[in-house]
Amino acid sequence: MTTEVSRLGSEIAAGSSKDLLRAEGVTKTFPARDLRALDPIDLRIRSGEFVTMIGPSGCGKSTLLKIMAGLLPATDGRVVLDGRPVVGPRTDVGIMFQQATLLPWRTALENVMLPIEIRHGARAAKSMRQDAVEVLNSVGLDEFEKVYPHELSGGMAQRVAICRMLVTQPSVLLLDEPFGALDELTRDHMNEELQRICEARNATAFMVTHSIPEAVFLADRVVVMSARPGCISDEIEVKLARPRTLDMTTREEFGKIVRKVRSKLDLGGQR
Amino acid sequence: MSQTLERSPEAPRSSETKRSREPLLDRMPQWIALVLVGGGGLLVWQLIVSLELVSRILLPGPPETFGEIINSALGIVQGDYVFEALWITTQEVVLGFIAAAAVGFVLGVVVGETRFGQKAIMPYLVGFNALPKVAFAPVFAAWLGFGINSKIIMALFIAFFPVIVDTAAGLASVDRDAVMLFRSVGASRWQTLVKLKLPNALPFIFAGLKTAAVFSVVGAVVGEYLGGGNGLGELIRLSAQQLRLDRVFALIFYLSLIGLALFGLMSWLERRFVFWRKPELLDITTVA
Repeated sequence: MTTEVSRLGSEIAAGSSKDLLRAEGVTKTFPARDLRALDPIDLRIRSGEFVTMIGPSGCGKSTLLKIMAGLLPATDGRVVLDGRPVVGPRTDVGIMFQQATLLPWRTALENVMLPIEIRHGARAAKSMRQDAVEVLNSVGLDEFEKVYPHELSGGMAQRVAICRMLVTQPSVLLLDEPFGALDELTRDHMNEELQRICEARNATAFMVTHSIPEAVFLADRVVVMSARPGCISDEIEVKLARPRTLDMTTREEFGKIVRKVRSKLDLGGQR
Repeated sequence: MSQTLERSPEAPRSSETKRSREPLLDRMPQWIALVLVGGGGLLVWQLIVSLELVSRILLPGPPETFGEIINSALGIVQGDYVFEALWITTQEVVLGFIAAAAVGFVLGVVVGETRFGQKAIMPYLVGFNALPKVAFAPVFAAWLGFGINSKIIMALFIAFFPVIVDTAAGLASVDRDAVMLFRSVGASRWQTLVKLKLPNALPFIFAGLKTAAVFSVVGAVVGEYLGGGNGLGELIRLSAQQLRLDRVFALIFYLSLIGLALFGLMSWLERRFVFWRKPELLDITTVA
């Protein structure tokens, strides 16, 4: 894991203000349903930055995330990651969904090693075993290597999904409402955990969410999206000190930002 | 199996008050309930015979039937003609089942995984399934003779369709996010099939195999009824002609053992390979 931190470190040294991930005039139309899902979207995410995107359901934020992950082609415009246009799934992208989508016939550790196994074969996965164990340990799943998903709680399953995303050492994390299916308490806890992980790795992340407090809690910058067709209606910098704690969410400065995001969101909805 | 039977009376101790309000029939352990229903059935059977509602020739009583079952068992152990008939039919069923499983699985994957299979093959299979397949028994006898081959084909013919449908349904049941995840890590179509879709389809495939296990017995026996040979079906047909219905029942008992054994084997394999899914209490496999 130290190698990754130093890699990210050198990237930052090369130019911390450099955009790592860029969406340039990305649009999406579904001709079959005669639906314009996204109006031209321009978005820049700097290396080491955590950007959250919030918007009403059906505003196209998941579509945008899938385009940025190379899972869906853009109708127009392009996505550039690390200087190279994204034209398909990339090894330097880590992705996470609302459901953990762990394979029930694989142990936690085998699930974590799945991406390596698929890209580089079973032998490579075997040689990376120790790294996978370390990633599991780093999220507090020390004793859970050989445990099967049906024995894990929702929160633990999502931790394993985080590990599966991290094990390939992606340069950007794309998170599609990763904790949306968890209960409120677990969700708060997982957000703290995610912040800690991203801090430790100086990770670059783009996360789509429905929850305003969650968006504010994690973000360096909150991007507000409005619906039909989806477009970015506002951006709000969050200049709260890190590491942020759940305690901070009850304070006035946090509440102020939440209110600000909410007002932009309402305005966006009325447009 | 025995676990569920034994635990059920103990578990509810903690909620005694709520439980005692349930009717007596619902409260009793499963094995007592099973014995009760089975015993009741036998009693009705015996009554019908004792009251001579039906001629004894047409409906032998439970003692005669069980006597004949034991009689045949002795013959089977000694390797007489019942044993030979049982062995022949077992071969027909097992080989027919294996063929049905193989053909059904391959076609199921083709139909479930390719658009071409979906568009161009599935409609024919659905049409085929609507045919009265039993009517083909004389055709196979004409083509393949009166030996076991025509029965194997008949068993295959009747049993392979559920395997196709369940395999294809299993492949289609895959979680869309999981497919997305596989795409995101650059999995090939083959990798997605082998590492995701097929393991995910296993519970469905086993459901199809269990149906096929029962159907292949039907196929083999129909083949024997209509195509002769030396199997159990032929013995049953002859015994019925001689109005030896106690024999008929005894032979049907052994015939069903073949299907049950195959079904039980599939259930056992399912529990081994689909360990992540807890069998439900009402699942027929827990009783079988």
